[in-house]
Amino acid sequence: MSRQYSAALPIAHVALKILIVLNWLMGAAILALLVVMPNERWIMSAFDLSPSPEAERLVMGLRTIAVLGLAVVPFSYVVLKRLLAIIGTVRAGDPFVAANATRLQAIAWALLALQLLSLVIGAIAKALSTPAHPLNLDAGFSINGWLAVLLTFVLARVFAEGALMREDLERTV
Amino acid sequence: MAIAVKLDDLLHDRRMTLTELADRIGITLANLSILKTGKARAIRFSTLDAICKALACQPGDILRFEPGEAP
Repeated sequence: MSRQYSAALPIAHVALKILIVLNWLMGAAILALLVVMPNERWIMSAFDLSPSPEAERLVMGLRTIAVLGLAVVPFSYVVLKRLLAIIGTVRAGDPFVAANATRLQAIAWALLALQLLSLVIGAIAKALSTPAHPLNLDAGFSINGWLAVLLTFVLARVFAEGALMREDLERTV
Repeated sequence: MAIAVKLDDLLHDRRMTLTELADRIGITLANLSILKTGKARAIRFSTLDAICKALACQPGDILRFEPGEAP
C-alpha cells in the first residue's frame, strides 16, 4: 500500500507543477487574445462574418467569455497550489493537520467559483450560438462539478475534525 | 488549564526523578514531561493507574482543580 503511494505522490507532484505552468500559459494566451492581437478582425474571419450588428454582438460576447476565461486562471491556481501543498504534507508523513483543512476549504471555494464561472460562460455561449454560427463550448451546468464542490466542502470539514482529534490524541498521555 | 498536575511535588516527596518514573511505568520521558508541565490535553486511566502504583498515591494526589485558572 505504502509503495503504491510512494510512486503516485511524486507523479502527482510533478503533474501539478506542470498544470500550474500550463494554467499560467493559458492565462497569458487569453490575455494575448484580448490585448495584443487584433482580435476583432481575427474573430470575424475565423467565423466567416461580415461587419454587422450581429457580428459585433458575437465578437463582444466572445471577448466577455475570454475575460471570464481569464478569471478562471487565479481560481485554478488556488486549487493546484493548495493541492500541491497538501501532497507535500502527505509526502512529509504529516497530512492530518489543520492547515490542510483550511487548504481544502480554499479549494472548495475556488471550485465553487469555477462552477459559477462555467455557468455564466455556458449561458453566454448559448445566447451567442446561432444555427449559422454554432458555438459549442465545454461550459455550463455539470452535475459532476457541483458534486466535486460539495465533496470538497465535506472533506474539508472531515479534515478539520480529524486534525482536532489527532491533536487531542497527540496530547493524551 | 483549570486542572493542575502536581507530579513535581509528588516526585519531590518520593525523592524520585521524572526519568526514574518514566522507566518504572513504561511511558516516554517526553510524554511524562507533557503531563508534568500541564500541557497534556487528556490522561489515560492506564497512565493514572501506573503513576499511582509507582508513587503509591491516589489520583487526587496528582490532579487538583483550580477554579481561578482559565480553562
